[in-house]
Amino acid sequence: MDADVEKGAADVSDDRPAAQADPLGAIAPDASPDAQDSGTGIMALSLPYQVVLAVALAVAGVFACVHLAMVFLHVAPSNTLTKRHGQAVDDWVYPEFEQNWKLFAPNPLQQNISVEVRAELAAPDGALRTTGWIDLTAQDTEAIRHNPMPSHAQQNELRRAVDFYLHSHSDDERPEGLRGHLSEEYMRRIAMHRLDALPVLRGPDGRALAGDVRRVQLRAVTRPVAAPRWSSEETDTAPSYRDLPWWRVTEADRPAGAHRSGTEAAR
Amino acid sequence: MTTPTPPQPSPAPRPSPAPLSGPTPQPSRTAAREPFDRRLARAVQTVTGRSLGPYQTAIVRIGFSLTWLLFLLRELPYRHELYGPDSPWSWEMARRLIADNRSFSVLMWSDGRLWFELVYGLAVLSAVLLLVGWRTRAVSVVFMVGVLSLQNRSVFVGDGGDNVLHLAAIYLVLTRCSQVWSLDARRAAREARAAQAGGPPRVDRTGPLLWTVLGGLLLATTWFSEVSGEWWLPVLLWVLWLGNALWWLVCRFAPGEPRTLLDALAHLGHNAALLVIMAEVCLIYATAGWYKVQGSRWQDGTALFYPLHLDYFTPWPALSGLLAASGIMVMLVTYGTVIVQVAFPFTLFHRKVKNVLLVAMMLEHAGIAVLLGLPVFSLAMISADAVFLPTAFLAGLGAWVVRGRDRLLRRAPAGTLPEQRRTGEEHGPRTLVG
Repeated sequence: MDADVEKGAADVSDDRPAAQADPLGAIAPDASPDAQDSGTGIMALSLPYQVVLAVALAVAGVFACVHLAMVFLHVAPSNTLTKRHGQAVDDWVYPEFEQNWKLFAPNPLQQNISVEVRAELAAPDGALRTTGWIDLTAQDTEAIRHNPMPSHAQQNELRRAVDFYLHSHSDDERPEGLRGHLSEEYMRRIAMHRLDALPVLRGPDGRALAGDVRRVQLRAVTRPVAAPRWSSEETDTAPSYRDLPWWRVTEADRPAGAHRSGTEAAR
Repeated sequence: MTTPTPPQPSPAPRPSPAPLSGPTPQPSRTAAREPFDRRLARAVQTVTGRSLGPYQTAIVRIGFSLTWLLFLLRELPYRHELYGPDSPWSWEMARRLIADNRSFSVLMWSDGRLWFELVYGLAVLSAVLLLVGWRTRAVSVVFMVGVLSLQNRSVFVGDGGDNVLHLAAIYLVLTRCSQVWSLDARRAAREARAAQAGGPPRVDRTGPLLWTVLGGLLLATTWFSEVSGEWWLPVLLWVLWLGNALWWLVCRFAPGEPRTLLDALAHLGHNAALLVIMAEVCLIYATAGWYKVQGSRWQDGTALFYPLHLDYFTPWPALSGLLAASGIMVMLVTYGTVIVQVAFPFTLFHRKVKNVLLVAMMLEHAGIAVLLGLPVFSLAMISADAVFLPTAFLAGLGAWVVRGRDRLLRRAPAGTLPEQRRTGEEHGPRTLVG
């Protein structure tokens, strides 16, 4: 274990200047001058202190190794150990050390998934009308085009929300557990957030109509990326649709202040 | 002329010079001749006697704090939508999820708008302060709290970059990452010089003040520990806070062995955290690489083509199209990526190959930043990679930056001499004497 520590460290400072570097010396932030005259490390201590330090060394070493082993098992594929002790690994790693490095792996995403929404509006006189499908992902794409530093709000919010939804629902749109329910609410709220800002949803008098929305329906449209020109592969690029159920919009789904936007815009 | 930093050897003769075993052939040969117990003793002395990789931990600190700072500034107009009261991921939803997964976020203490703005502001401030290395041991804790709080408030807006920053923010707390290139280092050098000149030690008021303020925050964390966070986090914060007090007391009243012991414990924590950071980077690349090997698209050499056609990752469609147009080019980059990622952890045993691969990975991430529109992710990954940069390169880089600054501020009076030069001058005569 000690050898591990040293080896790892040696890789970092593997050049001559490092061998002479005296990080503590005069430049360590919390070293006062007299530290330079006394020695450092375990050799500079008397036996009782050495024992304390040795215990600390053992604890730190074991802790670092256990932590790395847990993280390793967390990112490794399901295996004999994780099948037997998966709960212990999860308990250690979640929530703060959760990680996923399957970046574009095993295969990169090969389709564009967009989210479309249509809304059912109830006018103040009670008349119902349904909007056409509005492509929310197109707004993101538009914002990302020629943007050297896209915001997470454009690049991750909706993209990851629909991913979250699809992973927490069965094929017949039944939510799985707390996360399933949360993801539905999340999708609804994103939809309402976007609709609220949409110029399309304004009445002839310029009044924002998002406040009139009674129900929304979302659908995920999957468009496979066509195979490269140089490849002989044939890809069916026809879009496929997954219709989510109609959801009633509650007050909790509306962005803060949406309910009064009607009166505000009317001014 | 400014001499680059390579810090001078300590004037005090070391019990053992602790040469670094490893890639350089000569020391490893000597190490091989040494009996095992001698080698073990030397290893123990190394990890308890020094905080290794001062330049590497400093560049990691600078890299991640810069990443987080740029991110927070970029998201200023979107902060309410991402983490604040206007988020589609409402505070109430975050509360329900956090009640389930026990992640830590001070934003769960209150759903008020003012509290949110305060936390966001503190996160920005902590990023700036960590970047310049002001009171790093305390600021790095605030930095971690800021990162965890914002990210855990809205977990579903993050990506790989946020993930690596999240981990680094926790690990950095345990490192002495301000040994070089920081205001802390400058202050320590100034104090050392003053002490050598025989002046009375300057009374530090900022430290105790900061400690007291953070104590208040710590009490709040403990008070709200039911709301958010696992048990170990408040414990860690208490240990750090009390440890700082102990360090202050020991420095003042027991500067002998107790102080050396505490110092050794700090070295130990630093070195363990450094090891974990390095292993973490290896795990990232090993995972990314080994899972790719199993993918059919990475096998047939077309994998790169697909991200270049995803709407979310093509800010410059013409550029992406240009690269994707060449089948050979796509295949070379596809295979190259897998080879580099799988190979990287193993090349650590060979310095030159490691450095070549490191350059390749950093360049690839720079490419990803532009091509896929992921600059924050890329900067985070480059910051993580930087832990493996060679010391000679980093010291050279530091000297180059200082020279560049000197040239820019040619009229700089002697009073504002850069830290690098000062330490050089300060060490010069002592080295001769020593």
